Order: sequence, then structure tokens, then C-alpha cells
Amino acid sequence: MHIPDGYLGPATCGFFYVVMMPIWTMASKIVKKTLNAKQVPLLAIGAAFSFVIMMFNVPIPGGTTGHAVGGVLIAILLGPWAACIAITVALVVQALLFGDGGITAIGANCFNMAFVLPFTGYFLYKVISYNSAVDSNRRVIAAGIAAYIALNIAAGLTGFEFGIQPIFHKMASGEALYCPYGLNVALPAMLSEHLLVFGWVEAIVTALVVKYLQKQDLNLLKEGRA
Amino acid sequence: MGALSFLKESIFADEYAARKGFLQSLDPRIKTATFFLFIILILFIKDIFTLLCLYVFCLFLTKRSDISLGFFLKRTWIFIPLFSLFIAIPALFSVFTPGEALAGFNLMGVKLVITYQGVFSAALFVIRVITSVSFVVLLSITTRHFELLRVLRIFKVPQVFVMTTGMCYRYIYLFVEIVENTYVAIKSRTGTKIHYKKGQHIVAWNIAYLWMRSYRLNEEVYSAMLSRGYRGDPVTFNEFRAGIKDWFWLLFSAAVFVVLFYFNLQIKN
Repeated sequence: MHIPDGYLGPATCGFFYVVMMPIWTMASKIVKKTLNAKQVPLLAIGAAFSFVIMMFNVPIPGGTTGHAVGGVLIAILLGPWAACIAITVALVVQALLFGDGGITAIGANCFNMAFVLPFTGYFLYKVISYNSAVDSNRRVIAAGIAAYIALNIAAGLTGFEFGIQPIFHKMASGEALYCPYGLNVALPAMLSEHLLVFGWVEAIVTALVVKYLQKQDLNLLKEGRA
Repeated sequence: MGALSFLKESIFADEYAARKGFLQSLDPRIKTATFFLFIILILFIKDIFTLLCLYVFCLFLTKRSDISLGFFLKRTWIFIPLFSLFIAIPALFSVFTPGEALAGFNLMGVKLVITYQGVFSAALFVIRVITSVSFVVLLSITTRHFELLRVLRIFKVPQVFVMTTGMCYRYIYLFVEIVENTYVAIKSRTGTKIHYKKGQHIVAWNIAYLWMRSYRLNEEVYSAMLSRGYRGDPVTFNEFRAGIKDWFWLLFSAAVFVVLFYFNLQIKN
């Protein structure tokens, strides 16, 4: 779901930087206010954790593998604002040091993966698990459903961002300047692979991690520890 | 865990940044700023030939920085550009990009037509992606990573992000080590192919275990920060020095940016 440089035109890249600026500012203000000094390293640890999650190859039927993004999991563990900073940092490190995800597309990537994904997922998790005990099965199911829906919303947005490129950036004779596929191709392509494969990977991993944490260290799932 | 090994090799190898090449000798602040200029320029260019010139210029800089072209081409083409090349192929055909027919053939009874517009769109797309990726990778391998992350301060990135990024970089290495060791331990104990469901449980257990270890690490890290004088606001040293060569490089890059940007504006959509 990482958008590389060259897929989006300057207008889209600029637009998402502008959209993300107030979100990043608000995230740093809220996190500074809510996180006590002792928990400062937690943000960096959360960012590294979010980076490494994407490196896990998850086995899927047919002998192949996929990978989870972990955005909803980070939001459940750290809260959505801290998750926004942690995932942004992970995406910046990936773009700058690994060349995975473009520098000009950082705004769009962060909007999809550091804002929409954790916030939608966290909200759904809270709604579905409303008033349930921290060690209840409802939490595990809520985490899985939230991860599946949030990842597909983020993937749909990514497809939408690809798909609008030929509308905004096209030569008069019909040549596309950036992503060459319109909404009729980009949107179904992104959505189908996430609805059928990657959404399930995300849901299974998120639910199982919550289940393991319930068994091993319940405190890590309690509200307000980060 | 091939991805983990690749990550370890490619990210943590400072070998190229330590060489005495042209880009390694530049002030990291100026180098990063000028590379960002090039990346923005690449985003705006509408002409394939200009993009190709920038790509050749990037390869020239690679050679001048004592980096083997074979290594660089392998490092830059694998993953994103190859993937982009693969997804650009359907755009060649009139089904996706209608326009002036260039060539046509029958494939299992289906008539496929390659259009001029399709070839142009696909070529521009792939060349733009490979040129951008090449500039980013070149910046990344010719600059020590902790310097590159510290440079973010000149772009007025809030301190909380800069500090978190710097610390995050160190933890990635540690986490990769932990995950790799865990996988070796699991592999040496199972010794056989496991069912995918079992595999998913192992991955989830690994992630949960990693988070538990990370969370416990937090307290130790904070104590280490306190013992090094952390009092709530991070202090970072700035030992970057810009010389005449850096200013010339900045002038040259700015001139290239202005000239190419101006010519690009003359191209009508």
C-alpha cells in the first residue's frame, strides 16, 4: 500500500502534505500532553515496532505469504494519536532509508496509513468492544473486524488516489503523466486484493496478537497505559 | 525472513557512506536539500528525454561517488521499478489507453493494439519511478543514516518527530535481531514445513512477544536517557560544516532545477 514517487502528480502530493500538516501538529501536541516523560521512548519503540511488523511474512493458503501493516494494532496498543506519530516515523524511515514509499508521496502515504487506518480501526475497535472486559473474546473479534475494515478503507483510498491521476494529469492527446490507470481499474485492483487476501492477513494477525497479549500481559491492552 | 536479511544488509551497511567519493564529501544538509530539489523536479517533468537525462546524471553521480554501477542498478531496480514496469505493461494496449495505433497482434483470438499514447504513458511512468527511486537510494547510501535523519531538523520538522526518528532507527536494528534470532530458534526446533495456520500463530506470537519486550525496554531506555542528561527537552549537536564545494553544488543544482523547470513549463499538456 506504500505509494512510491512517480505514481501521484504534484497536486495530489501537495494536497496530502497540506492535509497532514494540521494532523501531525495536533498529534504532536496531544501526545506531548498525554504521554509522560517516562514514556517518551515508547513512541520510538512503537515506530520501530510498526516498521518491523511490515517485515513479517504471514503464511497464507496456497503456499505464498503476505504482510500486515499493523496500523490498527499500533492504535490499540498506543492510542490513535501516538500511533499516528509512530507510523509516520516508520513511513519516513522507510522512504528515506529503504526507498520504500516515495518522499513526495509521504503526505498521501501518511494520510492512508498513519491517519485513516489507525483512527478508523481504533474507532471501530472501541465501538465493537464497547464495555467488554479487557480479556474478553469480544476484544479479539473487535480487533480483527476493525483491522479488516480499516485496511480496506485505506486500500480503497489508495486506489482512489491512483485512479484520479489520469483525470488531473493528462496530455491533450491522451497520454497519462502519472499512474496510467483510471478509477475503473485502480479502485477494483486495490480493493479486490485487500478484500480477498491482505485484509484477512491484517485481521488474523491483529486478532491473534490481541489474544496472545490477553494471555501474557493484560496490562498492555488496558486503556491509558500509553 | 528474507525481507529481514535484505533490510539488515541494505539499511545498516554504512560501507558506501564511508567511501571517499564526490557525494560523500558534501555537507549532508546541502546534499539532502539538493536531492529533494531533484526529486521534486522529477515529479514535475513531462518529457521522457529530460527524465532520461536526469537518470543518466544520477548514474554519473553514482560512479563519481565510488559506487559500483552493477550494485546500484540491482539495488534500485529490484522491487518498486520492476513492479512498476510489470503493472505498466497493460497500459500499452488500447483497452486501457485508447489512441493512435502503433502495432497490433492476435493473442488467443483476441486482437490487441498497442497505442502511441500507451507506450508514452507506460514509458514516462516507469522512467519517472526509476529516476526518483535512484535519487532517493543514492542519497541514502552515500549519507550516514544518523546524519540523514538529523538533517530533518533543517526542514523544521518538529523535534518530537526528529528525536523519535533517530531513536526508532536504532530500535529497528535491535528488533530485526530479536525477530531473526526467534525465527532461527523456531526453525531449528521444528525442522519441517508447517501448516499455514500454525505459521500464522507463530507470526502473531512473535509480534506479541516483540511488543512485550519492547514495552519493558521503554523503562530501561528512559533511565539511560536520564543518566545521559535528558531533562525533558532533547539536545542535539550540530557539527555540519559547509565549504565552497558545497555552495557550488547547491548553485549548480538550483540552476538545473530552475532551467529544467522553466523548460518543462513550456511543454503544453
